[in-house]
Amino acid sequence: MDPVVNARTARWSSYIVAFLITALIFATALYASNYFQSQRIADIQATENDVSAQILSTETQFDLLQEHSCSDVSESDLAPSEMTSLGSELDYLEAQGGNQDEITRLKSTYSLLEIKDYLAMQQLAQKCGLKPVFILYFYSNSGDCPQCEAQGYVLTALSQQFPLLRVYSFDYNLQVGALQTLISIDHVQDNLPALVIKGKNYYGFQSIEDIQKILPQLKTMQTASSAAATSTK
Amino acid sequence: MIDTALAYMLLFVSLYFEIFLLVAFLERTFLSRSSGSGLGSFSHYPSVAIIVPCYNEELTVSTTVASLLALEYPKDKLEVIVVDDGSKDRTLEIAKQFETDARVRVFHKENGGKHTAMNFGLARTNAELIGCLDADSVVASDGLLSVVSIFEDTRVAAITPGIHVKETNNILQHMQKVEYRLAVFNRFMLAALGSAFITPGPFSIFRTSVVSELGGWRHGYSTEDMEMALRIQNAGYLIGNAPRAVVHTGTPHTLKHLFRQRVRWTYGWLRNAVDYRHMIGNRKYGHMGLIILPSALISIGAAIFFFFRILFEFSVTIRHELLKIEVTGALPHPGFNLFYLNTSVMWILVWIAVGLILLLIAMGSFIGTGKRTLPIGTPLFVIFYSFLVPLWLGTAVVRAVFKTGVRWR
Repeated sequence: MDPVVNARTARWSSYIVAFLITALIFATALYASNYFQSQRIADIQATENDVSAQILSTETQFDLLQEHSCSDVSESDLAPSEMTSLGSELDYLEAQGGNQDEITRLKSTYSLLEIKDYLAMQQLAQKCGLKPVFILYFYSNSGDCPQCEAQGYVLTALSQQFPLLRVYSFDYNLQVGALQTLISIDHVQDNLPALVIKGKNYYGFQSIEDIQKILPQLKTMQTASSAAATSTK
Repeated sequence: MIDTALAYMLLFVSLYFEIFLLVAFLERTFLSRSSGSGLGSFSHYPSVAIIVPCYNEELTVSTTVASLLALEYPKDKLEVIVVDDGSKDRTLEIAKQFETDARVRVFHKENGGKHTAMNFGLARTNAELIGCLDADSVVASDGLLSVVSIFEDTRVAAITPGIHVKETNNILQHMQKVEYRLAVFNRFMLAALGSAFITPGPFSIFRTSVVSELGGWRHGYSTEDMEMALRIQNAGYLIGNAPRAVVHTGTPHTLKHLFRQRVRWTYGWLRNAVDYRHMIGNRKYGHMGLIILPSALISIGAAIFFFFRILFEFSVTIRHELLKIEVTGALPHPGFNLFYLNTSVMWILVWIAVGLILLLIAMGSFIGTGKRTLPIGTPLFVIFYSFLVPLWLGTAVVRAVFKTGVRWR
């Protein structure tokens, strides 16, 4: 490049053009961020629709079994579907912020689906004499439950280790009629984290060992690694 | 909430400054080619004296002086004044060997700092132009010819060169090579905007009469090159840039030396900024007063702020991972899910800012070398400098607040 030297000037047009471009970049970043957020919400909605269809399928299956035998149903049919990943994705969206009304609506739908799935599974298990293991987990994201984070990690680890273990997590403060009814039926107090296992309530942090003591059948339950080994035979 | 608002404000200012330079560059390239000040006319060869201030430079001084003697310039118009500033090694003895050349004069004085060595040389020359070449630098043979023509404009008091890293023997020097390319762009654009506020030690050339008029070099908080540039601007003279006057300079080869050098530079900038605070925000000084100096100050605060913010977010992530390990006993297994990619406005803006910096580095490469390719150390520069720079900036700020002073070595 040729040498350059210039007098001290202030071209206002440069300031204005730079400002407009910077503002445009900010607007683009805002638009892009909202777009990606909308895509995520759309993904979750699609997954919720899938889950809803699965539950409908389970309920239909249950209706059919009223007239037929359970010979074609095993415990592996009760394995969780996209529920676990859906819960994690919703947690992430909630932590990221953004459109809280939309996120709350998605969480409400998710909670309703969980309750429906829970009830459908219970009915199916009773009809067919299966013994799936359910854990109802009540947490709070309002900053009043310091142990909820650790409890979440424990339950995620357990559900990953035991694919047949069904963990249903509920935001205690979510104002959904069915959820509040479930809380009322199970007499879950505002002392979180709270677990409901085999009809009994447990308050405060429960370690993996604590839960394994409560659910000794976990020791004989098929683990993720053994399931993988079986499937690759 | 306040920290988020502050983060967005600092991001806006940082992006705005990058884009301002970019717009100015494009304006200059495509719209206002004629806005220069009569460059290229060359009526006579002015006499030039290059001062080589040395302190314990026995390993590099001979290369430096040899490069000066190889300059394509009339022999009767060039003099090299080596000033040994009280070296304790063989610098003087080695420099003396060059006195067989009529253009070279070697002096010895008590150690007093670089500015005293420069003034020592200034007092012993009648040359029209006076330059400085640090004794760890070498200049390209056509370097001086690229510079002198600009002094035809009587308003010009100094010209800075295109400075490049001399040796890239380790990762740290590769990263500095990238940094120097970015500096080539910045120096070029600051000159184009009439806003240069540093006349670096490696081969900046001054009009001798102006330097004498301004009273010679000052200590300038161990950054005499910055103080002199600010004084020149304050007096209303111009500072240009000649990127084709290529100088290769030695750079720190250890983190400790790099850290010390950068603390000295930042400390000097902050203390000089206080001394010349009347220029900051002052429209009389054009772009320099309105945007360049304020941005240079804000960028220090922004770098420190974002460093602590990222450090905080990182510590929160680490705390979560440790808790997970503690309660589950399982080590985290890395995985990638597009759903969890952070696409917050803040991160998108950070990525855009990084992209713009890469663009400016490429432009620096083009201005300095004619090639648009990024140096090989660019990825490392982006990653590691993000963490290194705030450390020396923070240290310099603390030292400047307490006026501790800084050492050269």
